[in-house]
Amino acid sequence: MLKNLSDLKLLVEGRPRRKLVLAAAEDQHSLGAVIRAWKDNIIEPILIGDKEGIQNICALNNYDISGIRIIHEPDMEMSVEIAVKMASSKQADILMKGKIGSSTLLKCVLNKEWGLRTGNLLSHFALFEVETYHKVIAVTDVAMNIAPNLQEKIAIVNNAVGCLNKLGYSMPKVAVLGAVEMVNENMEATLHAALLSKMNQRDQIRNCIIDGPLAFDNAVSLESAQHKGIRSEVAGDTDLLLMPDIEVGNVLYKSLVFFAKAKVASIILGALVPIVLTSRSDSEQAKFDSILLSAAANK
Amino acid sequence: MIRTLDQMEKKVLALKKKRRIAVAWAQDPNTIGAIHKAIKNGFIEAIMIGRSSEIIKMCASEGIDAKTFIIVESENETIASVEAVRMAKKGEVDIVMKGLVGTDKFLKAVMDKENGLMIPNSVLTYVAALEIPLYNKLLFITDPAVIPFPDLDQKVAMAGYAIEMARKFGVEKPKVALIGASEKMSRHFDNSVDYAIMCKMADRGQIKNCIMDGPLDLFLACDKKSIEIKGVETPVNGDADVLLFPSLESCNPFYKGLMLFANGELAGLIRGTEKPVIVMSRSESEKSKYFCIVLSCLMA
Repeated sequence: MLKNLSDLKLLVEGRPRRKLVLAAAEDQHSLGAVIRAWKDNIIEPILIGDKEGIQNICALNNYDISGIRIIHEPDMEMSVEIAVKMASSKQADILMKGKIGSSTLLKCVLNKEWGLRTGNLLSHFALFEVETYHKVIAVTDVAMNIAPNLQEKIAIVNNAVGCLNKLGYSMPKVAVLGAVEMVNENMEATLHAALLSKMNQRDQIRNCIIDGPLAFDNAVSLESAQHKGIRSEVAGDTDLLLMPDIEVGNVLYKSLVFFAKAKVASIILGALVPIVLTSRSDSEQAKFDSILLSAAANK
Repeated sequence: MIRTLDQMEKKVLALKKKRRIAVAWAQDPNTIGAIHKAIKNGFIEAIMIGRSSEIIKMCASEGIDAKTFIIVESENETIASVEAVRMAKKGEVDIVMKGLVGTDKFLKAVMDKENGLMIPNSVLTYVAALEIPLYNKLLFITDPAVIPFPDLDQKVAMAGYAIEMARKFGVEKPKVALIGASEKMSRHFDNSVDYAIMCKMADRGQIKNCIMDGPLDLFLACDKKSIEIKGVETPVNGDADVLLFPSLESCNPFYKGLMLFANGELAGLIRGTEKPVIVMSRSESEKSKYFCIVLSCLMA
């Protein structure tokens, strides 16, 4: 169980460095995070992009990059293509996005000939460290799948549970979030929740304990759950929150960051390698923690 | 806990209450025989609505004294049904029973919006207590007779009525098995979706007083050995009290097969009405009809 995001470090200690390829590398925060992770022996970076631009940023910020491999490719889209191809040919273990839009990167990731498709759905997985919760809490999917149907939710849960299993959670507790903990025919999320719970009971979704629908308070507070008389192994001790859709997920994610000063690490799952796809506006710390997560999830 | 239909009869006799039954279109030998037995055993009074001459003739040929019940002359089956329902509505009788009238015509009178017996917004369905010599207790099954393809709300109502009936038989927290062809969730079986939703509703107390699981196949519902062999974890645990079937066409052959090939016996009632309503197939035996009358007195 992870209490803080920094506990991820314990998981990668003693493991060989993961090869991380940074596409369109001429981005200050990305470079800062990558170089820090390199210095901490977590990764072996490969930077792809405009060599002069990369060197200028590093000089300006006193980043020492001697010994780091740089592949010169001034065309951003080409740099992404090279990075993805390195990952699909196993020359890199982690793909990271630099100064380029997410859609451009994802288009390459999904390329049928040389992309990183596995047949699984791609989904976004985030880990939050919030002072008011007794451990880190994972949340999916707050950024990628817009309005997942039941089959997609199964895939999203499987992606996230697979990742949590790698992070040392043998049976993560999964709360399927709704507005209420009751089943309500007019709220599709609560119906999906009931189905996911039953599939879990029948071993059709494995390696986790699923309960839902749970309202947010029941999911994270035992007192709330008990107050409502909910009997649940998950309530109050949730490891993973499954969002009903991107709007709920995205607002929750941003409110945790802005109002609760949460620290966050996030990656894209379901591709051949974990993808660090933090927003260009994310802090260097968030990018660093995401790199750490991607290394820990890349067993 | 009542484990057999004979025990159910004992329980009703021990109540020492006399219920009043109105029989619609009563000139049916099996029905007259069953009513007579119940009168003789002292737990009902009957009003027979129908062709009085035929009723009296039938009584004579069976050696039954027609004076043990009140006979009300009626012109046809529709009028007889409406009259029986009216008596129940007015509180003149406690129970309504279908005689020789067709089920459709009889239920039309029961379901009439103004003068019928429906509880507002309730679901009209059927629950039966089935006695099978090879099972160690009664099985409450639903719905073998009324709703062809129940939707989620109807299934929830069916489960509620079956639970209510099982509790009247002293099963405090009946184990309810939602029957399918397999225990797995599958897109190919729509009912498994309803079942998963119902299980969660039971978890959350939206369906009360039961232990519910499904989908379960019949083996997992009623046979402990199958549980061991398959290794499926289910709180019903091969010990079901209630079987909820996905359709009328699955439930109906189930009970008929057991009656025909396994010496099963059954007592059933319409549910969703203000007062017990007995509807049995005209071909049903006198014994089955008698047990239905007993059951209606237990539920009244």
